Amino acid sequence: MVENRPWLSFLTHLVLIVGVVVVVFPVYLAFIASTHGSGDFMRGLVPLLPGPHMLENYGRMLTQGISTAGAPPVSIMLMNSTIIAIVIAVGKIAISLLSAYAIVFFKFPFRLLAFWIIFITLMLPVEVRIIPTFAVVANLGLLNSYVGLTLPLIASATATFLFRQFFLTVPDELMEAARVDGAGPMKFFRDILLPLSRTNIAALFVILFIYGWVQYLWPLLVTTDSRYYTVVMGIKRLAATADSEPLWNLVMASVILAMLPPVLVVIFMQRLFVKGLVDTEK
Amino acid sequence: MATIDLIDLKKNYGNVQAVKGVNLTVADGELIVLVGPSGCGKSTLLRMVAGLETVTSGRIEIGGKDVVRAEPAERDIAMVFQNYALYPHMSVRGNLEYGLKNRGTPRAEIDRRVQDAADILEIGPLLERKPRQLSGGQRQRVAMGRAIVREPAAFLFDEPLSNLDAKLRVQMRVEIRRLQRRLKTTSLYVTHDQLEAMTLADRLVVMNGGLVEQIGTPIEVYDRPATLFVAGFIGSPPMNLIPAASLSGGENAEALQLGADTDIVGLRPDQLHLERPEGNALTLAGTVELLEPVGGESHLHVQIPGTEQPIILTVQGRPKLEEGDTITIYARPENIHPFNQQTGWRTDAS
Repeated sequence: MVENRPWLSFLTHLVLIVGVVVVVFPVYLAFIASTHGSGDFMRGLVPLLPGPHMLENYGRMLTQGISTAGAPPVSIMLMNSTIIAIVIAVGKIAISLLSAYAIVFFKFPFRLLAFWIIFITLMLPVEVRIIPTFAVVANLGLLNSYVGLTLPLIASATATFLFRQFFLTVPDELMEAARVDGAGPMKFFRDILLPLSRTNIAALFVILFIYGWVQYLWPLLVTTDSRYYTVVMGIKRLAATADSEPLWNLVMASVILAMLPPVLVVIFMQRLFVKGLVDTEK
Repeated sequence: MATIDLIDLKKNYGNVQAVKGVNLTVADGELIVLVGPSGCGKSTLLRMVAGLETVTSGRIEIGGKDVVRAEPAERDIAMVFQNYALYPHMSVRGNLEYGLKNRGTPRAEIDRRVQDAADILEIGPLLERKPRQLSGGQRQRVAMGRAIVREPAAFLFDEPLSNLDAKLRVQMRVEIRRLQRRLKTTSLYVTHDQLEAMTLADRLVVMNGGLVEQIGTPIEVYDRPATLFVAGFIGSPPMNLIPAASLSGGENAEALQLGADTDIVGLRPDQLHLERPEGNALTLAGTVELLEPVGGESHLHVQIPGTEQPIILTVQGRPKLEEGDTITIYARPENIHPFNQQTGWRTDAS
């Protein structure tokens, strides 16, 4: 739409700028806080310019953590979060690719039923089934382990559904041509279907990585050993110190650190991500 | 190099009989075209030969070997699909090589065959491109290339030209014919385009409703259609089919020596004349209802008393006639095709 109305363009920009400020200001404040000394935020006057303690704060959080709050160094928590987010994303993608492949390309009894059962689990997110899931995981002795942290989050109806929709758009002739060319089911999957799904996989990886990264409730339930803390739940522990003021500068340093990996994933996979959501390479 | 034998081949989808028992022998090196309206079972038949469709009953033999239970890859056939079905993420070279690689063909042999195919089809400069960077005609060539490199016992074509524009279609048609002559590979070709069918085929198989109506060379099928369906299907404009009762009587008695079971008479538009030929002739009087000039020739729609449909005849050049004129048209006795409405069969079958 090409229109030349100065006041309208001013108004739209104003709205956008206000929106950006609303989103960005808290992040900015967190960053500022993370560069000041421990007492600076308690004085009632919130500083708006960076302070001199940035390296000190970040260094301390990465290497030592806050032992009084029972929090391990942030580096460990970042590592845990990264492992968990990657395992969840990769696991979800692998399982949903295979199940979508089965549902779309093979004819077996109760195929539709299988699809609907998977589909119905969309109505049962982790939070809804959290108590029984916890019981199962606890009885299997998986508390305080990476398996316990990731496995219950891997089964994914959303990703299965997405891949199913994509596979349905792949022309049948492609599979038939591959059959005539002597490619068996797994070979067709590996040589043809997987390369075609590349952009979809990338887009889904970004979404699922962030999904895994921001998990809060589940890690909070299944971990009691600080070696398995994830960063998102760790921040909560940092802020909830007993009998003393929270060390906001250090908490905010952890917050900024926790925000970085998802941002980096989005930035570096943005091209593939947008491509995967917008077009399919056919 | 192989023959293909179909023996009483049937295919049912639930209660629907798509193919109702087809017998056909394709000789070594022959190009057979399956032609018919959509839904006549021709594509199903081809896909059964390819192994992409299961067989309800009957046998398929390729090179004398029963292949009904064999996987498509084991049948030593190559197929060209209507939408080409090129692998979008592979280069042209990758597309050509894929089938050979899966068979474990040695590298040097793969390179030689790909080079040969590229030379034959003149797609050498395109080998490193992706299918989406190619035009429709080029994709068509690559699809053919993928079939050629396999050096199969038989080619199967499933309406390979129907996604091309008219000009390119004619060009590719000629090329397919030339290629098939050169490689002498047994081929089955499915189309609904009768011009394609007539020009390509060594022999035509006209199908309708899951059954074979007629098998013969294109000229045989054109000159002596075995059934009413074939008569109406092959030829453009189609054959005029007129109730015999409306023609008999008067001076036509001598020209129209029809058997007792003949009740429909077929007349090809290009075998009707405005001048009286020598000897006996069928004579019809009528009024010109419509005059369609199509360039080199003209189509005349003539309304004859006693018939519902106007008779169409093709006349060379541009006749000096106007709509509404009363004219007389003639047909030679040997160009009259007698049919029986009930059975649909030709009544003077020899």
